[in-house]
Amino acid sequence: MSESTPNLESNYNNLAGIEPYQHLYVVIEHEEGIPVPVSLEMLGEARRLMDDFNAKYSSNEKVVAVVLGDNVRNLCEDLIKSGADAVVYANSPSLRYYTNLLYTKIICQIAEDKNVARSISPLSSENFKKPRYMFFSADNTGRHLSSTVMAQLESGLASDINKLVISDLEIRHEHKTKGQLTKYEKTLEMYRPDFSGFLWTTILCLDNRNPSIAREYHPQSCSIIPGVFEPIAKEDERTGTIIEFEPQISDEDLRVKVLSRNIIKSTIDFESCKIIVSYGRGIRDSPEENFKLIEQFAKSLNAEIGISLPISKRPYQTKDQRLLSYMIPERVIGTSGRKVSPVVYIAIGISGAVQHIAGMKESGFVVVINPDTDAAFRDECDLFIKGRMEQVLPVLTELIKKRMLTIEKRA
Amino acid sequence: MPVRPLNVGVIVKLEPDFSEGNVSYNPDGTLNRAETKNILGPHSAAATLAAFYCKVKYAARVAIGTMGPPIANQALKQAQIISNADELHLYSDRIFAGADTLATAEVLRLGVSRMNNGLGADIVISGHRASDGETGQTGPQTAWKLGYPFIGNVIDFQIDPENRSIHAKRFISLYGFYDVIEEIQAPLPVFISADPSYKPSFDTVSERLSLARNLNEARSKAENFEKYLQVYNSEALGADPRFVGLPGSPTIVYKVEKIPKAKAKRRVEFIDGNDTAQLDMAAEKLLQLMTEAPIK
Repeated sequence: MSESTPNLESNYNNLAGIEPYQHLYVVIEHEEGIPVPVSLEMLGEARRLMDDFNAKYSSNEKVVAVVLGDNVRNLCEDLIKSGADAVVYANSPSLRYYTNLLYTKIICQIAEDKNVARSISPLSSENFKKPRYMFFSADNTGRHLSSTVMAQLESGLASDINKLVISDLEIRHEHKTKGQLTKYEKTLEMYRPDFSGFLWTTILCLDNRNPSIAREYHPQSCSIIPGVFEPIAKEDERTGTIIEFEPQISDEDLRVKVLSRNIIKSTIDFESCKIIVSYGRGIRDSPEENFKLIEQFAKSLNAEIGISLPISKRPYQTKDQRLLSYMIPERVIGTSGRKVSPVVYIAIGISGAVQHIAGMKESGFVVVINPDTDAAFRDECDLFIKGRMEQVLPVLTELIKKRMLTIEKRA
Repeated sequence: MPVRPLNVGVIVKLEPDFSEGNVSYNPDGTLNRAETKNILGPHSAAATLAAFYCKVKYAARVAIGTMGPPIANQALKQAQIISNADELHLYSDRIFAGADTLATAEVLRLGVSRMNNGLGADIVISGHRASDGETGQTGPQTAWKLGYPFIGNVIDFQIDPENRSIHAKRFISLYGFYDVIEEIQAPLPVFISADPSYKPSFDTVSERLSLARNLNEARSKAENFEKYLQVYNSEALGADPRFVGLPGSPTIVYKVEKIPKAKAKRRVEFIDGNDTAQLDMAAEKLLQLMTEAPIK
């Protein structure tokens, strides 16, 4: 019997211990032993998905956190409190800093290790080959790591995901199923917002059940946008299995060396300012003049200036150096930039793509200035000033200045 | 013994031009692909600039490759103008269509091995990611399939041609944490991705002379760019049809839908921006929030 026979997997259903692909592995990123926020967000979503999975399909499958580093044992309890059933950690001085080559090798060693799988769950299969699902973060590290790990494990990867569902799907596909309607069980539906933020593409990673090109593609994996999923509230009474993995490291694996590593704090201070004024493509009719209005407005409120992602790509021809210095990636608010939560967030000429919203939705009070009352931002703001910035900003700036003067006089 | 010349390979992509005036959006906010021009993507251009740096500074031989339909040769032409490339490769075959990143990386792996008269490349350079819904996965996956270590988000690098090694700086953004600049050293061959902020600098007199000469050469070469163009189909690359195109793609696009509007968490109040009295109330509200909020 070939493993590519359509519907074969359904035969597995009640035979615990036979499935070659089990568990959800989450690759944790940390800085000197402190998990970066997206790691806990991924564990939170993994926990929610696996709770449903355990209820619906099988209680044998677990959420497994995978963490590499120099001194990461202390991290493991925290990962369990944050949703993991098991933590697999590898400690080595060589793993202190991420290098793609070495991390890829070790993560793949862990992912394909039968003993690790058995320690995670005694009911794990003798036939265990690889994880069923795998999550990485969609940041500069996880994006590359997920790619190379999947190149090694020869499976599929969806990037920049912001919604996940596990379900049984009936698929008819020219290549995957040779046009036959075929049931794929426990399939991870990976939702990816496109660059515009208005379309959602669902990506599936599916075995080729078509006998002429039969191939198994596991783990089904994805990279997850930082900031979109909620971590679970830490539960001190949660327990789990902690497994130390002895990594196999060859000299070849150590040929990429990290010589130095410098932390740079941004000079743009979005954290301590009370108000952030952001602008987007709405400035396009006369970028230079409009920017001056925005700058004066921000100044009147003592606000820092942010931008939407398209602005960082410098879509306008301008020699205005001040404007250019406000069209840089460091100022981007959103999933491709900074996540902010000021007391007041003011969005000028920004449509409100999901990626931008993800970066500012924790703000206290949100004001939008936009002529288009159908802009997506209408559902994410407290006050919507309908109007063109050319008209609104000069008046509003003057009104603020006047009120400021009164306040100062009183003081 | 003379130092072996440096062979560079670049992987680029033809993408929609997102600059204002060229990009066209549908009323629902999605990209109007029919009305939007295609260009060498900005991240591909950064990768190409990094290759040009190798050409100017180390007299490298540069080959540029892209997978796509015949029209993608426009990206190669633009890349040649930037980099004074010696070879342009178009990997084009109907059976490559619909490939996901793993199947694309398979084609690019085969392509790179045919670059520079079949010598391959000591350094392969890709962009950070494409702008049009690409994933940033193709570069690292091609690197892995080639057996080259991948160094991402490179903002600056030098080659030591004698010791055949690279010294690179890379930029890592840990959203919500802090940013890091890392210095890396590795022996060649390597695969690097150019950070979007990558800009080469040419400091010495001899570098500037070489720069001027290469810019001139690039212009005249690109006028006859077809002369430098090599087109490879699946057979010429020796591709296994099971590992490219749709059959070689683990992932499929299952569905595309409009993102439903999120349930409004805030109760929005609309005001008329032409009404000064209403704006003054907004000003009052802003100042009130500002003064009442505790200092962070």
